[in-house]
Amino acid sequence: MLWQLFFSFIKIGAFTLGGGLAMIPVMRKEVCEKHKWLTEMDFIDGIAAAQSSPGPIAINIGVYVGYRIAGFRGLIVAVLGSVLPSFISIVLIAAYLYNYAELVLVQKAFHALKPAVISLIAIPLIDMSRKVGLNLRNLWFPTLAMILVAFVNISPMYVILVTIVIAVIISQSKKKEGKN
Amino acid sequence: MFYMFITFVKVGLFSFGGGYSILAMLQQEIVTNHNWLSADEFANIIAISQMTPGPIAINAATFIGYERYGVLGSILCTFGVILPSSIVMVVLTKTYLTLQNKLWFQHIFKDLRLLSIGLIAAAMVLIVKSSFPDLFSVIVFIIAFYAGWRWKISPIFMLIGAAIVGMIFG
Repeated sequence: MLWQLFFSFIKIGAFTLGGGLAMIPVMRKEVCEKHKWLTEMDFIDGIAAAQSSPGPIAINIGVYVGYRIAGFRGLIVAVLGSVLPSFISIVLIAAYLYNYAELVLVQKAFHALKPAVISLIAIPLIDMSRKVGLNLRNLWFPTLAMILVAFVNISPMYVILVTIVIAVIISQSKKKEGKN
Repeated sequence: MFYMFITFVKVGLFSFGGGYSILAMLQQEIVTNHNWLSADEFANIIAISQMTPGPIAINAATFIGYERYGVLGSILCTFGVILPSSIVMVVLTKTYLTLQNKLWFQHIFKDLRLLSIGLIAAAMVLIVKSSFPDLFSVIVFIIAFYAGWRWKISPIFMLIGAAIVGMIFG
């Protein structure tokens, strides 16, 4: 089980191309579909929690998934596995291939990889939107968050904090209404 | 070297919002505050980190550590960035598992799930901003989207395929 987890996360780490978010589709496939370690909803909650924590989001999701599957040892195995491919490739590049960035072939590959990564994230995002109950009435909320973060450059941390505070206030007032 | 470790712990602890915000903070610490690398060297490292498998922030930390102190330095820097967020994440996961059944907590998570859709979309917009002005990217996006949606091609095959297409036509 731990070995399987380790190899899954090595695979996830190795195919995270163009930034941490590319990890989500690969991880979802390994964790929810192939090995069925977590339900889709649990995985989505993990993403939400990972975004509320500091540090690299991909690693944070790894911590969550590893810990939920196999406790503390699972966490260490998942994080080690997902860091290992990038660690090895960076050390090799730093040691032997300093002009890697100028390699035309790699840049060309990334010309097609970036849009492919976008579509890879977009497809599960549509599935996820259905599962979390996104509809025309609440569509404004994630859209507003997206605009604030991507175009106004507001730190996601503030958006998350405000969301939590508002959610608490609303659920408290609902509770009171229920009592009256 | 210990000082460098502490700096990376600090970056890992105070950077919210994933990869790109971590890079902004790293630049502040590494280039502006400590002069460990020049702005040019830093930009070069970021370019390489984006083209290597793995989360960009981890790649950059590994690279910077290696530049200064070799393999030991890269292990320390990577460990430093991961450490604080892993601890926070364990606490969050435990809290989640204990409070899962409380109604008010479910309310918070219902909103956070919606929010996280928005945040992922924001991250996508940031990638699009850096890569989409040309026709080639748009065509690749449409083909990749169709292939993934319709034929449910595995993400790994899609990435390998895209890399090959890019090398030939990009």
